[in-house]
Amino acid sequence: MATPSKDACLGNIAADRAPIISHSLAQGIDFEEVQSFLAALPANRYPAAAYTQRGRMPCVQPRGGYPRFESQLALTHELDRAGADFIPLTIDSYTRHNQYDTAARLLQRSEDEEKDYLNGYPLINHGYEVTRELYRGLDKPVSLRHGTPDARLLVEVAIASGIVEIEGGGICYCIPYSEGFPLDRALLYWQHVDRVCALYSTADRPIHRESFGPLSATLVPPATAIAIQIIEALLAAEQGVCSFTVSFGQTGSISQDIATARVLRQLAREFLDRFGFNATAVYLAYHQWMGQFPHNRAKAAGLIAGGTLVSNLINADKIVVKTVDEALGIPKAEVNSEAVDTVKYLLRTFSFATPPNSPEIQAEAELIESEVRHILEAVFAMPGRAFWESVYQAFRIGYIDVPFSPHADNANRLLSMRDARGSIRIINPGALPISAEDLRREQQMLSVDSVSRGEGYRQLLADINIMLD
Amino acid sequence: MIARNDEGKRIVLGVIGDDIHVVGNRIIELALTESGFVVYNLRTRNRPEHFCHAALEVNAHAVFVSSLNGEGEYWCADFRRQFHAVGLANILLYVGGNIIVGHRSQEDIQRLFRGYGFDRVFHQKPDFALVIATLREDLGLGNAQ
Repeated sequence: MATPSKDACLGNIAADRAPIISHSLAQGIDFEEVQSFLAALPANRYPAAAYTQRGRMPCVQPRGGYPRFESQLALTHELDRAGADFIPLTIDSYTRHNQYDTAARLLQRSEDEEKDYLNGYPLINHGYEVTRELYRGLDKPVSLRHGTPDARLLVEVAIASGIVEIEGGGICYCIPYSEGFPLDRALLYWQHVDRVCALYSTADRPIHRESFGPLSATLVPPATAIAIQIIEALLAAEQGVCSFTVSFGQTGSISQDIATARVLRQLAREFLDRFGFNATAVYLAYHQWMGQFPHNRAKAAGLIAGGTLVSNLINADKIVVKTVDEALGIPKAEVNSEAVDTVKYLLRTFSFATPPNSPEIQAEAELIESEVRHILEAVFAMPGRAFWESVYQAFRIGYIDVPFSPHADNANRLLSMRDARGSIRIINPGALPISAEDLRREQQMLSVDSVSRGEGYRQLLADINIMLD
Repeated sequence: MIARNDEGKRIVLGVIGDDIHVVGNRIIELALTESGFVVYNLRTRNRPEHFCHAALEVNAHAVFVSSLNGEGEYWCADFRRQFHAVGLANILLYVGGNIIVGHRSQEDIQRLFRGYGFDRVFHQKPDFALVIATLREDLGLGNAQ
């Protein structure tokens, strides 16, 4: 059995960092030089500042990454002008898989032909010296969005570039994004990343970490998503991270979203406190619909509006926004800034005093809370010398099971569907360690007619594609 | 012992190439299981030999290859010959999904993949009930032990 503990902190990792930053693409990153660079950044470049000043409206963050420096610079200016509160830097998928040579070749080709051959900004190939120039004069945080199981070099380059919000985690950037990257290695590499973030942090200028709650974005039960968010917050806190955002993706059910937000916020705080991490601040981010988007732009706009209203209802600290061209691929800069502007308009227009409550929401929140507690206690009880080992073992036996993950270490036994209101219900728990009573409540709310007819797969497809036109 | 045709027939299922589109694969697995088949799911990122080895290991009645990103054309060339080599010359071979890149006529695609040795080709046919009905029929006539 291993519970989260400050004793798991890696401490001084200079010897582990040395081979990473000796990579030629790290351009001789020097810890002290980066420290003084970070100390001289505008105070508003730190997410903690943005979250403290946000008032009643959630901060707005788009996504976006282009291979060429000039395009990324133009996008950054455009999103800044449109009023984005966080500026994104989305990384290309070759860099995410540590294939820097391929990224270099396709960056060169993109520059030669003035056409994009990468689906994001190859940060490591551009390097930190050039990337600092992207954000010269910017007075708001920049967020690193990627999907990298081994992000040790990427995060060094990001922080040296002045990017001080780092999304990811050993689970959330491995289980949904990779088929074969070993989960135990991903967990260890992210411990390293968390430690690097903590080492560069000061009390008033913490390097901020964020977890990716949507996971596979396909019928993930809220309890599973919340348990993973809390585990990643605890793993980061063990390494000394003191500013952390937990997140989740729009479920497709407003009452379930409200209940999920309430339980996630409350239990993240409770479990951090329980293990002595009272000093770690926790924020909540909400992702607009992460599943298949409608092609029809008017419907896409409607879906974006719906998600925006929910973010206000739950008093999210941040909303991560989509665009009306989501179904078509990477949006143009002007479509992206239009999305930011629209979401800002919606947030201003439909403000909300306190998160709503109803017997239905109350019952949903109680069910989710009970499930999360059962899952987390079962994870804590797993064998291991450190918490990360217990987490790894919990995955191996299916205590944590993310539906539709491509990963070999994921059990894939849990089966979920939607009830009549669109809420995600567990139909078959696999090895998920929830109580018999909670499982009975889950199944009670489901209509299983289609399953008994032997056509559950049709229902499942309809439940996945719920937002398609 | 004579069982119903669709009871307990063993199907090897998997996505070919470097494709990691897992949603369709999981749905097919559930659909086949619900119909009474025993499914051996190789999931994503498979090479042709993975299907061969699995089919041999479980004495499969049929192999079901899918491709969502169009890599099928590249990886499926000469598919049946690999089964000849392990003594499964007559195994039933199905392929489906978005099996080629770009647009070509259904007849061209049928001809191409039948040339590779597939018995049935389902390019962009979302109705899975048809696939299952065909599979039942083919297995009734099939010669797997």
